[in-house]
Amino acid sequence: MEPHASSFVSKARTAFHSAAAKAERVLTDFKIDLDSDKQFHDDDFGMQRGDESARSENESKFRNELKHIKWRPPGIGTKQDWQDRINNIRKGRKEVEVTDKVGDVNVGSVPFYDENLYILNVKNDLDAKASEAIPTVEGLTAATKHPIPPSSVLKQLAIAIEAGRQTNSMKDFVASSPAREKAGLSISSVKALVLREKEDKLTSEFSSDEKVVYLINSLFDQEGEFLRRKINSDPEETSISSLPRDIHGAPPESLVVKLAEVIGNFKTLRGMSLFWSRVVDELRKHWSEEKHLLGVPPDDIPDLKSCLLYQQFQVINCCISRKRRHIIAIESLDSMVMEANSNTSDSANYMGRIPTSPLLYARLRTGELVLRLGADCPSGDLTLLETGEPAYSPVTQEGPLLTEDLIKETEEFVLRTGSVGAGCSQLLSDMQAFKAANPGCILEDFVRWYSPPDWMESEGSTEDRDSFYGGESMSSRGQLSLRMQKEGNLWRELWETSKSVPAVKQTPLYDEDLAVEGILDAFEDIQPSELYRQLFVSLLGLGFAIAETMLSGDIDTSKLFNDCKEYIVTTSQSDGFHEKVNELVQMYETVEKMLLNPDKALKMMKHMEESTMTTDEPKRRFSTGEPKHRFKRFSHIFGGKDKLLTPVRKDEVNDEEKQIRHSFSSFFDSKSSLFSKKPPKPGNLYPGEQPLSLERLDSYLDKVQFHPI
Amino acid sequence: MDSSSGHQEFDYLFKLLMIGDSGVGKSSLLLSFTSDAFEDLSPTIGVDFKVKYVMMGGKKLKLAIWDTAGQERFRTLTSSYYRGAQGIIMVYDVTRRDTFTNLSEIWAKEIDLYSTNQDCIKMLVGNKLDKDGDRVVTKKEGIDFAREYGCLFIECSAKTRVNVQQCFEELVLKILDTPSLIAEGSKGVKKNIFKDRPPQSDASASSCC
Repeated sequence: MEPHASSFVSKARTAFHSAAAKAERVLTDFKIDLDSDKQFHDDDFGMQRGDESARSENESKFRNELKHIKWRPPGIGTKQDWQDRINNIRKGRKEVEVTDKVGDVNVGSVPFYDENLYILNVKNDLDAKASEAIPTVEGLTAATKHPIPPSSVLKQLAIAIEAGRQTNSMKDFVASSPAREKAGLSISSVKALVLREKEDKLTSEFSSDEKVVYLINSLFDQEGEFLRRKINSDPEETSISSLPRDIHGAPPESLVVKLAEVIGNFKTLRGMSLFWSRVVDELRKHWSEEKHLLGVPPDDIPDLKSCLLYQQFQVINCCISRKRRHIIAIESLDSMVMEANSNTSDSANYMGRIPTSPLLYARLRTGELVLRLGADCPSGDLTLLETGEPAYSPVTQEGPLLTEDLIKETEEFVLRTGSVGAGCSQLLSDMQAFKAANPGCILEDFVRWYSPPDWMESEGSTEDRDSFYGGESMSSRGQLSLRMQKEGNLWRELWETSKSVPAVKQTPLYDEDLAVEGILDAFEDIQPSELYRQLFVSLLGLGFAIAETMLSGDIDTSKLFNDCKEYIVTTSQSDGFHEKVNELVQMYETVEKMLLNPDKALKMMKHMEESTMTTDEPKRRFSTGEPKHRFKRFSHIFGGKDKLLTPVRKDEVNDEEKQIRHSFSSFFDSKSSLFSKKPPKPGNLYPGEQPLSLERLDSYLDKVQFHPI
Repeated sequence: MDSSSGHQEFDYLFKLLMIGDSGVGKSSLLLSFTSDAFEDLSPTIGVDFKVKYVMMGGKKLKLAIWDTAGQERFRTLTSSYYRGAQGIIMVYDVTRRDTFTNLSEIWAKEIDLYSTNQDCIKMLVGNKLDKDGDRVVTKKEGIDFAREYGCLFIECSAKTRVNVQQCFEELVLKILDTPSLIAEGSKGVKKNIFKDRPPQSDASASSCC
């Protein structure tokens, strides 16, 4: 597998497959360095130029790159760039000029990611330069013509996962930019205040940006056409449905997957975060206007096999449905009561009036008619024991909507306190509803409806309507089970406590407003890596689900595909997900190649297997007779890197070193070949990092020999 | 050994869930296992649980065993307790055929819907063996169902305590044979290291709303 998808280098490699190709890549990377340097010096750091001349060219490039990562927070252009952009907007200059300027801003503000895109795909890089910093609806719609979302989108989410791990809350993620800039640039406090003020202005400007508004509207559009891809799932339905759930993602075509694709197309981490805030605002609006979210079932309980984000969207929709039903039910009950009252007040017709069909009455033993409240439907052939009236099942309150995090909390609460309150609350609620729907009922009537096995029919056939309830003079038609007759039985105590109250008038067992407000607050304060991880997994699931149907007919690619699929399922379900995000991206890239260029993908895979075979050679002496199949080779290649991480993890790393190490880690991923030319000095690296990085570089360069630690 | 009287050290924490029709003897079975006692217990309201520590395979295990109400109205409430269970015990009454029929009609479907653990071990239990004279479900039928559904099988009596210990032991041994469940059991231990928990409450002392 080749980590760098550059078409030019790839062609050279395919044609010659020799050192010449590597030389070509070195030259290409060198050019990137020059471009980056030039861009770097055009920025505020031009003042550093004097010092630079005192150092070797190689060293200065390395240090500049480091400064770039450390000091320039992503998404923040230079003061001048932003000022120019604002001026252009105000002057309403021609679109072409605006495009050029914005392109320049993009390059200036995120050269790091721009280089990343260049390494991935030269053409994509050219497109990126020309395109806006904010993705457009048109651009995203055009992308749906590709069979699966481009791997660059998934890559961006992977970068965000890594970057977001340093932050606890999305709010901090957005707000941290000014602080970091202040620290990095050493600007005076007054200047910092000016920047902060500008920051706030830019934030509000982002929300009202025309493209952002259009994106939001398209994403939540009720027609649901946005980002729709053809998934020919008819013959493969079972197979399709299992993969996204196996990796705890979200269903294809769902709002979560579309959200992942949109956010993954932003070029900056800041843009991604600001867009998420905008999405949360839109969710609040939908909730207050009681509009369902499209791409989420309108009335399903949370699907625990999908990601938490999807479950929470389900709860929002379900609560909207419940609120609507509740309003209708209350209006219905109130109008019924009003009608009954108006009937009663008309005393002249009272005695002879036949009850109208919508009103249900029950006649007590005294002959008095009592209105049934909240009656749903007759309960089979059951009749009330004392009055002989038909028994009705009542409308009951709906159960709680628990997402996986709340289930865990509830379970821990019950374990800690021994509380059975939830069960008792529901039972009491049902008893009250039953009493309201069945005037004149007794506990035995309720039990016959609620818990049939606890009612034992009598053998006697004598029917005695006048029999009184009482311990010893139980109705001859049957009796409660022995366990239900026990002294101190909680059911009886609850029954005697309960009042006649229809469900819609009871205190809610589950408060929809409280539930949704909690979810929306959690969204605002979500940990960035937690959000991006779920979006990443969901998009991964979509790509594989689509690819599965498209590749199932081809035996060769299908076999390779299943190896990739098995790997991602195993990895997604395991611990240490964060260490393996990049491997998952590579799996996705492999599948992408399979769809776009099947022959080439197979050839690359064979090449990788040959590398694996060679690597296995020395180990074969130690592991006698152990069979190795394809998946194990896969696992070995990527598992090897996992092992390399262990020594670093075990060492104690102070905060500063840790921060640097993460920067290095991201840096190495995108600039791996840089270090094949310029081995870093020992003093510049944390000791444990150097062998790790070198090994990582080796794997990227497809070198034949692995050297496990 | 009785339920925990306080915090104890253990190697693995496993979550077990008991399901089945109302009145088949789930609560009595659990009581018989955890305290060697038998009572004709009032119907469970919602969910209840007991904790028991056992030594098995050289390991100290903490079992959190959830007992659920079998009435249909409680199903929404009890469905959330399927999540993460390493073992599920499906109980029927050998003297009532409908409780056996409902295993495939109702309870197997609930497991498919709500269990989030693909590897969880399932055990079929035919209870009330002491009423063999009233038996209507044969042992062979139980064996056939278990084989078809892919779960363990045993018949027992909560009243006479025949096979009660074996029932839980077989289930736990099977869990200990499953690497992914062992891993989950270990996670439970790590989580609990940082939490002090009050002594276990008895069911009779449970507070109400």
